[in-house]
Amino acid sequence: MIKLENLTKSYRTPHGRKVLFQNVNAIFPEGKNIGILGRNGAGKSTLLRIMGGIDYPDSGRVVTDQRISWPMGLSGGFQSSMTGRENVAFVCGIHGIWGRAQRRVMDRVQDFAEIGNYFDVPVKSYSSGMRSRLAFGLSIAVDFDLYLVDEVMSVGDAHFKRKCEEIIAEKRKISSFIIVAHAMPLLRKNCDVGIYLESGGLTIFDTVDEAIELYKGEQPKPQSRSGATTPPAVNA
Amino acid sequence: MGSSVQPSAWQIQRDVIYALLVREMKTRFGKWRLGYAWVLLEPALHIMVLVTIFSLIRDDFYPGVPTALFMLGGIAPFLFFSHCFSKGLAAVVSNRGLFNYRQLRPFDAVLSRVFLEFAIYLAALVALLSVLAWFGVSTDFNNFLLLVAVNFFFFFFCLGLSLALCVVGEKFPEVAKFSPMLIRPLYFMSGVFFSLEQVPKEYHTYLVWNPLLHVIELTREGLFTNYQGMFGDLAYLGFASVSTLAFGLLCYRAYWRDLVRSQ
Repeated sequence: MIKLENLTKSYRTPHGRKVLFQNVNAIFPEGKNIGILGRNGAGKSTLLRIMGGIDYPDSGRVVTDQRISWPMGLSGGFQSSMTGRENVAFVCGIHGIWGRAQRRVMDRVQDFAEIGNYFDVPVKSYSSGMRSRLAFGLSIAVDFDLYLVDEVMSVGDAHFKRKCEEIIAEKRKISSFIIVAHAMPLLRKNCDVGIYLESGGLTIFDTVDEAIELYKGEQPKPQSRSGATTPPAVNA
Repeated sequence: MGSSVQPSAWQIQRDVIYALLVREMKTRFGKWRLGYAWVLLEPALHIMVLVTIFSLIRDDFYPGVPTALFMLGGIAPFLFFSHCFSKGLAAVVSNRGLFNYRQLRPFDAVLSRVFLEFAIYLAALVALLSVLAWFGVSTDFNNFLLLVAVNFFFFFFCLGLSLALCVVGEKFPEVAKFSPMLIRPLYFMSGVFFSLEQVPKEYHTYLVWNPLLHVIELTREGLFTNYQGMFGDLAYLGFASVSTLAFGLLCYRAYWRDLVRSQ
């Protein structure tokens, strides 16, 4: 179970603070795969980072008894001057996987990422597709109760997406996923519950389709929301 | 959904530090062929420069201690200190990507860096002493226990300093620009190429406040029997070490979330 308690997060901008969440309270349903939707800059990645324990809210807290993965995104997490192999070894290391187990994980990641000899080339020379395959492949390495996936799957080709779905299908027997993506079919396929994120708060829907409907409804009118109207009440 | 067995806090800490050390070794030494050699070359070059200068000035720089050894006793600790200083200031900026893992916080980055620098410093010191002895430049060894005590305090002094500096470097990035200006005068004030007894008495009262001077004086005293380290004060160094560590830990404790939080 993940519980958000009075979560407030804002960013400093030249025009004053931009509030992402204001006193958000929510309980994320247990054992469900959750898809998070929202416009660019709504705070999806920030929410993921706060839940993952690598960023901190201005006030409030996240209560959970689960082991939550790092957010598997495109940018962070890799040292670009190190090779893919060294990066995987490092991530295994900080999660206490050494020696034989580490080599086994490394083989699996190399196999999944399908980057062949590029595994021994610095990550900075990877294409974004290779990078995302490695990032997602690394998720196999460590067992978590809950995986946070940030846009990684949107980059790859059809073949990679299918492989990701196989992994998710395998992993969801014992773990669950929280996925941030703009690709609707992917969310429909993999998520049970939808969360729609907008200025100031979030809304949890019982099905991901409802969240997608709301998200799509927002699309054609980019200027619709002014700061004066308060967002729909946050529920839990 | 039952969460599986959690490793203990110590286990996690140990894994993180060990993984960081392995990683630092790779990025530090693996990049170019001279990587490992640079560990020795840096102090060796310093020594060569200083020995050349001071041999020209005076034949017998310090009676009973060869000039090269005398300089080594000052340069090796100073280089460790100055590396900790610059690495500490840059600890948060240059490790930003690492904080993507929740068990890895700036403290771990600082600790592993100071630890690695410390190991490099000791290895370089021992290696250069052996190399110089091979070429016949040696003198009687004095006191091993004193060296252990000095380096014990020195390590925690540098750790405390680096922790404080990692906060400073993030809160006031401008300071990093001034760091060479802070380090350079210390080079001249810490007895890297002189002994306190060679300095006129009236300056002693000011110079002895510098803990680094005590480290260098005591290191030389521990290394060389013929060195009269009458000014090095182990108790003062201990006090400086404990208070710096306390200050560093307090700074870190007060601000660590701000170091990784997106503003």
